[in-house]
Amino acid sequence: MKSFDYLRPETLADAIAAGGAPGAAYLAGGTNLVDLMKTGAAVPDRIVDITRLPGLDRWEWLDDGGLRIGALVRNSDLAHDVDVAQTFPAMAEALLSGASGQLRNAATVGGNLMQATRCPFFADPTSSCNRREAGSGCAAQGLSARAFAVLGASEACIATHPSDFCVALAALGAMVEVAGPDGTRAVALTDFHRLPGAAPQTTTVLKPGELVTAITLPAAAAGFRRHARYLKLRDRTSFAFALVSAAAMLRIEDGIIAEARLAFGGVAAKPWRALDAEAALKGARPDADAFATAAARALEGAAATAGNGFKIPLAARIGARALTLAAAGTPAEMPVLPGSVHLGEPAHA
Amino acid sequence: MNRAVPMIRLTVNGAARPVAADPARRLSDVLREDLGLTGTKVGCDAGDCGACTVLIDGAPVCACLTPAAQAEGCEIRTVEGLSQTAEGGAALGALQRAFLRHGAAQCGICTPGMLMAATALLKEVATPTEDQARAALGGVLCRCTGYGRIIAAVCDAGRDMVGPAPSAGAAVGAALERLDGLPKVDGTEAFGADLWPAGALVVRAVRAPHPAARFVFGDLIDWAGPRQVRVFTAADIAGENRFGVIPPFADQPALAEGEARLRGEAIAIVVGEAEVMATLDLDDFPVIWEPLDPVTDPEAAAGARAVLAARPDNVLTRGRVVQGDAAVGLAGAAHVAEATARTSFVEHAYIEPEAGLAWLEGDVLAIRACTQAPVMDRDDVARVLGLAPGKVRIIPSAVGGGFGSKLDVSLQPLIGLAALKTGRPCRMVYSRTESMQSTTKRHPARMRARIGADASGRICGMDFEGTFDTGAYASWGPTVANRVPVHASGPYRTPNYRAETVAMHTNNPVAGAFRGFGVPQAAVVQEAAYDDLAQALGMDRLAFRRLNALAEGERSVCGQEMRGVGIGACLDALTPRWEAALAEVAEFNAAGGTVKRGIGVASCWYGCGNTALPNPSTVRAGITRDGRLVLHQGATDIGQGSNTVIPQIFADALGVAVAEIALVGPDTFLTPDCGKTSASRQTVVTGNAALRAGWALRAQILARTNRGDDARITLAPGKLLVADRTGTAEIALADLAAGAQGYVLMAEESYDPPTEPLDENGQGVPYAVYGYGAHLAEVAVDMMLGTVKVGRITAAHDLGRVVNPLLALGQIEGGIAQGLGMALMEEYVPGRTENLHDYLIPTTGDMPRIDPILIEVPDPKGPLGAKGLGEHVLIPTAPAILSAIRHASGARVTHLPALPHRVLRAIREAGR
Ligand SMILES: Cc1cc2nc3c(=O)[nH]c(=O)nc-3n(C[C@H](O)[C@H](O)[C@H](O)COP(=O)(O)OP(=O)(O)OC[C@H]3O[C@@H](n4cnc5c(N)ncnc54)[C@H](O)[C@@H]3O)c2cc1C
Ligand code: SF4
Ligand code: FES
Ligand code: FES
Repeated sequence: MKSFDYLRPETLADAIAAGGAPGAAYLAGGTNLVDLMKTGAAVPDRIVDITRLPGLDRWEWLDDGGLRIGALVRNSDLAHDVDVAQTFPAMAEALLSGASGQLRNAATVGGNLMQATRCPFFADPTSSCNRREAGSGCAAQGLSARAFAVLGASEACIATHPSDFCVALAALGAMVEVAGPDGTRAVALTDFHRLPGAAPQTTTVLKPGELVTAITLPAAAAGFRRHARYLKLRDRTSFAFALVSAAAMLRIEDGIIAEARLAFGGVAAKPWRALDAEAALKGARPDADAFATAAARALEGAAATAGNGFKIPLAARIGARALTLAAAGTPAEMPVLPGSVHLGEPAHA
Repeated sequence: MNRAVPMIRLTVNGAARPVAADPARRLSDVLREDLGLTGTKVGCDAGDCGACTVLIDGAPVCACLTPAAQAEGCEIRTVEGLSQTAEGGAALGALQRAFLRHGAAQCGICTPGMLMAATALLKEVATPTEDQARAALGGVLCRCTGYGRIIAAVCDAGRDMVGPAPSAGAAVGAALERLDGLPKVDGTEAFGADLWPAGALVVRAVRAPHPAARFVFGDLIDWAGPRQVRVFTAADIAGENRFGVIPPFADQPALAEGEARLRGEAIAIVVGEAEVMATLDLDDFPVIWEPLDPVTDPEAAAGARAVLAARPDNVLTRGRVVQGDAAVGLAGAAHVAEATARTSFVEHAYIEPEAGLAWLEGDVLAIRACTQAPVMDRDDVARVLGLAPGKVRIIPSAVGGGFGSKLDVSLQPLIGLAALKTGRPCRMVYSRTESMQSTTKRHPARMRARIGADASGRICGMDFEGTFDTGAYASWGPTVANRVPVHASGPYRTPNYRAETVAMHTNNPVAGAFRGFGVPQAAVVQEAAYDDLAQALGMDRLAFRRLNALAEGERSVCGQEMRGVGIGACLDALTPRWEAALAEVAEFNAAGGTVKRGIGVASCWYGCGNTALPNPSTVRAGITRDGRLVLHQGATDIGQGSNTVIPQIFADALGVAVAEIALVGPDTFLTPDCGKTSASRQTVVTGNAALRAGWALRAQILARTNRGDDARITLAPGKLLVADRTGTAEIALADLAAGAQGYVLMAEESYDPPTEPLDENGQGVPYAVYGYGAHLAEVAVDMMLGTVKVGRITAAHDLGRVVNPLLALGQIEGGIAQGLGMALMEEYVPGRTENLHDYLIPTTGDMPRIDPILIEVPDPKGPLGAKGLGEHVLIPTAPAILSAIRHASGARVTHLPALPHRVLRAIREAGR
């Protein structure tokens, strides 16, 4: 591993000043950055450890019923809070379906937003990768591989964003608060990550020196609490990234869907909110047909590369299944295996 | 860069431990390297395995991803802290004792991580449910146990009890706790990476980034000089630069010469002081690569560029067994089923990556590394480094899982070379990626079988062909090619048989030994065809297998007259659950829904020891002047339990309690050769040697004292008491002269299983002893998503004689976990799955309920009737699961693993 400077600023202003320098990287829980530094995919000259910045390690309920989550809140703390989990159950389920207990105890919510793709070539400096090194090519193109994007991909990059949390946030209409050399601003989570286009190396809208300070959930998002699920298909039952996943939320009034939210994970370089599908569901009866039609609509623009064609119908089925589960009602208790597709199948017969 | 290294004020296990370290260094690294707390293990450095789990302010985290500075001011707790008493003494806690009692630690490398994760859980819930335990341990991988015993231990930690301590003569059959268990639960077990003297140099390898490429070095001296390191290449190797587990096929260079034949092959080593090596960047190592077109398809390899010049057609070897006339048998069949199957590279994924230390003891090169085969290591290292075998001493470290891959040398010649060249102790630890890239895998197979049955359902012919991708070098390819034709019939009466295999070279990873040597792959295709036949005949699948099961005294496809045949008993034992499950499935599926359930069955048989080749074990036991009984037990215990089972057999043969025995572990200078820990041979072969050594020592003692066969031997300080009806005689040990080994009484006995060579048709006696088993798998398939959940496995195994039920159950559960992984998720792809989040192995959440059934049909040649078990256990799992998937969904998955996209395609093809 290359040598680097290590700074641990005590104030946000110092952090921004230190983080703006070329080659600087913010360090939060380290669960992603430390690993990428080992493989050689990240080679910062300067590490700016933000974990001692004051005030970012807690959440607060806003007067209007919304929630503001500091960027340094640990994934497990947020997911295990009873009020948070009851108000935004799909978010808690998404968080608990990700990684392992050990990792969730260290990982921060800001870091979760910012985590890098799990494309194996991105992590391996001996492979060409436009995302890691602009213009170096893309080792994934042309390979028969299952994990790659079916929505919003480009010639330059077909990687997916690995976060579960962000899928739920996208559906909830979360906002990301950002602080930087030019002050603070708020960005919709769905605008926060960039599709690769011709410049996959730029993965978010953050400018040099900017950092995520908080995530806010609007009060209205609490309206889905009774019908909200996160469903995650993975190659093993737990502790694996999503092959495809979906967050589904419904507001049902008098047997009719008053409002629906649907977002997908594992299909694109960003959490994929399906506005068309949501629109199609509004006013519909919450039944299997409506869910299948809406979910299929979400995948209408999808395009496969070698070996991942199956993901398009599969994502639609996951979307429909998540909606079906949401319609059935948020479970009273967090499932033993959060987000698992093996529902009704007891882990142990 | 020269920077002041700041002080980090850590608090570990209640004590202040300030340490000067780079703030962003991994906490795991600081704990191990700077504080000597090697109980915290490192299996991946990526958050994937949880072996490094420690508690920070009570919360379990991965120390490998925690920058040390972030732990400053926090309370860090490691496994070493678990055995601290409040008074500052040392004693095992209740959780650790529960781990011993339940056999929750096999190899023990995952144990510290498991213990720490469980400690955090138990703090919150004193008596957790199984679901809670499963969730809490979900981030720690174990490759040995299948998790069941670990979960049981965690749930049972509150009920502190003492395990059995059998008296003289009652050891065999007792559920004895592992005799070597203590260090595994208190964090003191020293695996390959855990022991090094201060100042040992660190070795790293430079590896090929391409599957096939020629290379030339730039100026190595120019590169090494300013970096204060030394570089060694093939040019520095004094001996013959090729190793291999089967000497006539030895073809693998320790360091490649001019051409690399697989991704990750080592081409040079760099050696330097630890501080220098920690920040050394190998990216600018002076080497120029000229990539070649890699050979990747074993079926097209025959006409492709030769991977090795010595084997121009890329054929490593062929295997063949022919009995009667398969064509005639099939022609006369009422029903013929044809099945094909394709399997993937499977990684052993032991949690301990290869690691070891080499140093000089005078003119002897000593190597302490994780291995399954110390004497083979000695011979390979001696050959490569140009030393006499007697000048190489191999001392196996504790082994954090092997499963076949640690039979081949890996880093032993490299650290040996470094120690010889520098004269200093040299240590090396593979990264997870290096381990996955460069060590052996299970052979991918493409197989076809045609099996015929007559109208009454009796098998009348079978024709099998298999192509095995053996990768760039020979390793155990010949063994796989030979074992498969012998076993491809399954434990079924099969007249008119032809089985032919070929092992092809490619530029893929080296395929070698992995639990079952190719037999698990072959069982997949054979059992699939059996399901077809049962269907065509309108017979129940289990009844069809029972009808064709080999019976006592019948002949195998090699013409061997079989004795101690337990397959019928195993299948019978499954029958009650089979019938109940069939009814449950029918009822469940009748209710409709997108989830369908199904059940499947498959069998196994497996010959213990080398195929028709000698593989003796020698066991020595002696009594010292002061009355200590010492057993030289040379069978390396990689978690499977030789350190317990062999003493159990020996103790009963001699007639003393196990507790009386002092073990001398494997060391090529101290223990006679017990061969390799593979082929499920240690209980049978070393067990037989131990039995004979025990008998011989007993006979000496009885002869000296003129006592009868039923005499009781008691060890006392300086003397032996031998009592029978006629009275008690005494041997004053101090009066006897000690022999060359330092013992006043000693016995050394060898055992080589009696086999007969196979002729050109594979006829003969390939093995002396076979074990048998059968699994019943119950699964649920989601017809829309293609996902499979295994709910329950009933596993009947014939062990001949159960030496230690606790260990046997652990083997069964662990084997099932590996079989489940092979069936559902494991597929190694070079360049893409070189870590444990892209290459997935089962976690706690994947494991079904397991109901083991132990059966004892004694083998006339096994020690006290015992048979091997270690590999048998995973053979039936994958075919039983596939059979159940098909029963549930109609999907005939022929390409393993059965990932959702393959299951969905097969469902579509089945028209469901
Ligand atoms: C084995 C493994 C399995 C995993 N499985 C899953 C999974 O199933 N689902 C899932 O969603 N995630 C998964 N993760 C990812 C995990 O959630 C992320 O690694 C974690 O959330 C990152 O948080 P961190 O605080 O550790 O970030 P760090 O590693 O500290 O940082 C990650 C990146 O974010 C940047 N960063 C961090 N904080 C900020 C900030 N406030 N502002 C700007 N930039 C910032 C850093 O510079 C860095 O580039 C897994 C991780 C591992 C190691
Ligand atoms: S898909 Fe994207 S991340 Fe992967 S190699 Fe191509 S450019 Fe890199
Ligand atoms: S070593 Fe830390 S998780 Fe594997
Ligand atoms: S005992 Fe768990 S990995 Fe060996």
